[in-house]
Amino acid sequence: MAAHVPVAPGYLQMLKQGSRYYSGLEEVVHRNIEACKQLSLCLRTSYGPNGLNKLVINHLDKIFVTGDASCILRELVVEHPAAKMLVMATQAQEQEIGDGTSFVLILAGSLLENAEELLKLGLSISEITEGYKVASNKALDLLEDLSCLSLKDIRDVTEVAAATRPSLASKQYGYEDFLATLVAKSCVSTIPKSGEFSAESVRICKIIGASVEDSVMLEGMVFKRETEGTVNYVQDAKVAVYNCAFDSTKPETKGTVLLKSAGEFMDFRKGEEALMESHVRDIAEAGVNVVVVGAKIGDLALHYADKYKLMVVKMTSRNDLQRLCKALGATPLLSLIPPTEDELGSCSKVYLQEVGDTQVVVFKQNQECPMSTILLRGSTDRLLDNIEEAVNDAVSTYNTLIRDPRLVPGAGATEMQLAVKIADFSQSVPGLEQYAIHAYSKSLQSITQALAENSGTQTNPVMSKLYSLHQQGESSAGVSADGEGTDLIDASEAGILDPLLSKHWGIKLASEAAITVLGVDQIIIAKKSGGPKPRGENPNWDVPHDAIDN
Amino acid sequence: MSAIKALNPKAEVARAQAALAVNISAARGLQDVLKSNLGPKGTMKMLVSGAGDIKLTKDGNVLLHEMQIQHPTASLIAKVATAQDDITGDGTTSNVLIIGELLKQADLYVSEGLHPRIIAEGFEAAKEKALQVLEQVKVTKEMDRETLINVARTSLRTKVHVELADLLTEAVVDAVLSIRQPNEPIDLFMVEIMEMKHKTDSDTVLIRGLVLDHGARHPDMKKRVEDAYILTCNVSLEYEKTEVTSGFFYKSADEREKLVKAERKFIEERVKKIIELKKAVCGDSKGFVVINQKGIDPFSLDSLAKEGIVALRRAKRRNMERLTLACGGIAMNSVDDLTPECLGHAGLVFEHTLGEEKFTFIEQCSNPRSVTLLVKGPNKHTLTQIKDAVRDGLRAVKNAIEDGSVVSGGGAFEVAVADALIKHKPNVKGRAQLGVQAFADALLIIPKVLAQNSGYDPQETLVKLQTEYKESGQLVGVNLSTGEPMVAAEVGVWDNYNVKKQLLHSCTVIASNILLVDEIMRAGMSSLKG
Repeated sequence: MAAHVPVAPGYLQMLKQGSRYYSGLEEVVHRNIEACKQLSLCLRTSYGPNGLNKLVINHLDKIFVTGDASCILRELVVEHPAAKMLVMATQAQEQEIGDGTSFVLILAGSLLENAEELLKLGLSISEITEGYKVASNKALDLLEDLSCLSLKDIRDVTEVAAATRPSLASKQYGYEDFLATLVAKSCVSTIPKSGEFSAESVRICKIIGASVEDSVMLEGMVFKRETEGTVNYVQDAKVAVYNCAFDSTKPETKGTVLLKSAGEFMDFRKGEEALMESHVRDIAEAGVNVVVVGAKIGDLALHYADKYKLMVVKMTSRNDLQRLCKALGATPLLSLIPPTEDELGSCSKVYLQEVGDTQVVVFKQNQECPMSTILLRGSTDRLLDNIEEAVNDAVSTYNTLIRDPRLVPGAGATEMQLAVKIADFSQSVPGLEQYAIHAYSKSLQSITQALAENSGTQTNPVMSKLYSLHQQGESSAGVSADGEGTDLIDASEAGILDPLLSKHWGIKLASEAAITVLGVDQIIIAKKSGGPKPRGENPNWDVPHDAIDN
Repeated sequence: MSAIKALNPKAEVARAQAALAVNISAARGLQDVLKSNLGPKGTMKMLVSGAGDIKLTKDGNVLLHEMQIQHPTASLIAKVATAQDDITGDGTTSNVLIIGELLKQADLYVSEGLHPRIIAEGFEAAKEKALQVLEQVKVTKEMDRETLINVARTSLRTKVHVELADLLTEAVVDAVLSIRQPNEPIDLFMVEIMEMKHKTDSDTVLIRGLVLDHGARHPDMKKRVEDAYILTCNVSLEYEKTEVTSGFFYKSADEREKLVKAERKFIEERVKKIIELKKAVCGDSKGFVVINQKGIDPFSLDSLAKEGIVALRRAKRRNMERLTLACGGIAMNSVDDLTPECLGHAGLVFEHTLGEEKFTFIEQCSNPRSVTLLVKGPNKHTLTQIKDAVRDGLRAVKNAIEDGSVVSGGGAFEVAVADALIKHKPNVKGRAQLGVQAFADALLIIPKVLAQNSGYDPQETLVKLQTEYKESGQLVGVNLSTGEPMVAAEVGVWDNYNVKKQLLHSCTVIASNILLVDEIMRAGMSSLKG
């Protein structure tokens, strides 16, 4: 549209056609809050061990059945700008901690919901944000004193298992004991003497079939591949890793073989074979019996490898190759030369195994190894995906605990305790901020409330009972997930503990996100840029295509 | 029907009163949008781009750039305002506000029948006087760290929230102070702004050295080197194809093997020279880092790694310049004349991995003349917000150093000028006085909006300010936490001198221009697309 001489007033006329502009409390703040509220409401039912799953169909028609907030949000592709801010906060939590994403979302959502109430009462936005800031700082201070236990020995399997259990329980309730031991064993086994842990070192290999209880952990690595040659079992392996083609070397410049007669051709072939054989022989003579290759494998080379009883494994991913080097203590070589003693990796056992109906190559180490693999089994792809998410979260929990070993009571106890203390604190604050601080305390309670709701308890009596318990100083009373007998349990006695750092970041990010959303008073949305519309916006997704009249 | 319609029936036109109304309403519309942004207590705007990216900003300049304004008058004003930013780095919002207000005041008189030309003359006279006042009230003093911090703080607090602003203030001032060279203009490009999506905004730091957004590409290279020599070079360490088409003929596999070796020899020679230099200068304890603008292929990386050399390839060109400034040494274009004198030095070089991304920190340089502001934040919109703020902060500090003088902020300057103009009014002849009056009233929009954004009554605050100014004779601005007058100089609220100067110039010019338009026409065919 060309610029016409415009008619006098109106702000929108200044902008490009198709842009939208919203301003003011009614249009922006309330609508933003509404969107965020809906988003957090949507995920609220998935929180905690008794949370429900969602069935999400993404734009590629892939189906997810999951209760994991980060996964749901990733596939949901949130478009509303304010809701997007909350999603960003959860992503930040995912990056920093790797767990506790729903905590962030529910807290932020609830903070905004309570802010709406306050706005209706006539508080100004700056008073609310000021109060939230004060309250979140106070909460972070208070949190420091709430730690009831800390992980003393990061190498003690039972202790680690106990610490990672709640994280698993909130996603895979029922398998948590089994999985926690598995995770603890694999995490602990990868820790080198220096004590530096990387979540990268715990690998997961999913194989469909059998049941979750049949999952095992092994030191070393497992790849869903077959071996290339005929050798498929090697004990006490000496491994040479090549990050180049396992084939005759080729110059960068184009070469042409200049032949004049059939005899020369025969000679050339023979020379080629002899050279290849000498290469492979040299490698074999250096003591190597397993060759791992990160690029192309030539037929001729493979033939000689079989002849010299070398096992050949191909890696398709560069990262896998590097991890394998780490696990075996090998240095990747860039040309086909025999490795020196210290470039050689060693492995107790390398073998081809059939698990279910999948062929896997196993590199198993009997001694200490910086990599470990959890071989997950399960009946469906979906189940395996969910367990993988849960295991990853548990590994991140362990990683978090290494950075800060302090633990706080879980099961909603910490949130309740903070809520009680902040409510007390709000009484002592002069000015209108005290309402906002009080609202903050209510929002913290909503986390505990979500747990109680999802566990199917009678929420109101349970919440009031909990509140009074906490006021009496029972700082670790929480909501029971069992649904049998009592509704309340002592979280620290029951061993339901969460890392302090996870709560710390959760509170920080949720408050920041809520404050940012509240601080916006105008939204200007540019016209959508061109290009084909992504699929998935079809509102009639559940109706077959030919049934919609376009 | 206007004449142009007779000439071209497709032309569109707005005349006289209508034209003025269009222009003034555009200016006031823009003013309304930006009004709530002014000052430390201004609110945020959320911008959603065509691709769906979110931007949060308070910065008038960013807002005007992103708004995709199409209204001709509004975009004219927006261009002037962004030009203000290009020249001085601050004052965009004030600019739009004053232009809007000048036209609003002028409209009052025009509707009473005064010719716009006379108002424009009044504006011109008023501007001359205002500039004189500016010269009188500016405070020339030595730009020590404290003053600079005050200037930077005043600018930054209008862009980001208070805690972050205070943090950035120190970083920004220290950055400029360390790259400043006596008797040389300040080159702000020597402050690299690097972003890292990590932690929170309050983790933003000033690094006295460089941060590169890539890492060594070899798994065996050390992740941390202390007390290291830095070799900055622009030498290709990878095989390069010949420029002419060439090929080889060979007869046997052996010949081919030899050929492969010979191909690499050329590069190996270069790598060897670097290794020799390393052996010559480094004992056991010292590290050696090669930063190359060109590529290093896996084989060369491998031989360097074996010697314990950390090598980074494909560094950005602008970083090569900064590297030599930060660590010393000379950037080398060939390995033939390597001497120990070419090497720079850094106390600590380490790699930081963040998910997929790698960062290399080169720190603890002695006397760095190029520094890095490492901006951190949990998400992209925070990072861009801080980056925009930092850029403005740097400009503010630079301006202050170059001007050698500052002006009281917080609306104090505007109150003083308005007062001086009223006194000056009788010296102007004829009806142009009304223009001077309009100009004086228009400037007061700044303290008014400042007060309004902080939740105080604009008129009441303004009257308090004017009374206080008359009684004390000191430059008083609005105290935004109480709504009472304060002496801006005592609290350390300082604005840039050249920002104010530019503001007075550009506002007057553009307001007069717009005022003098009496016909807007769009002749000819509307574009084919439309």
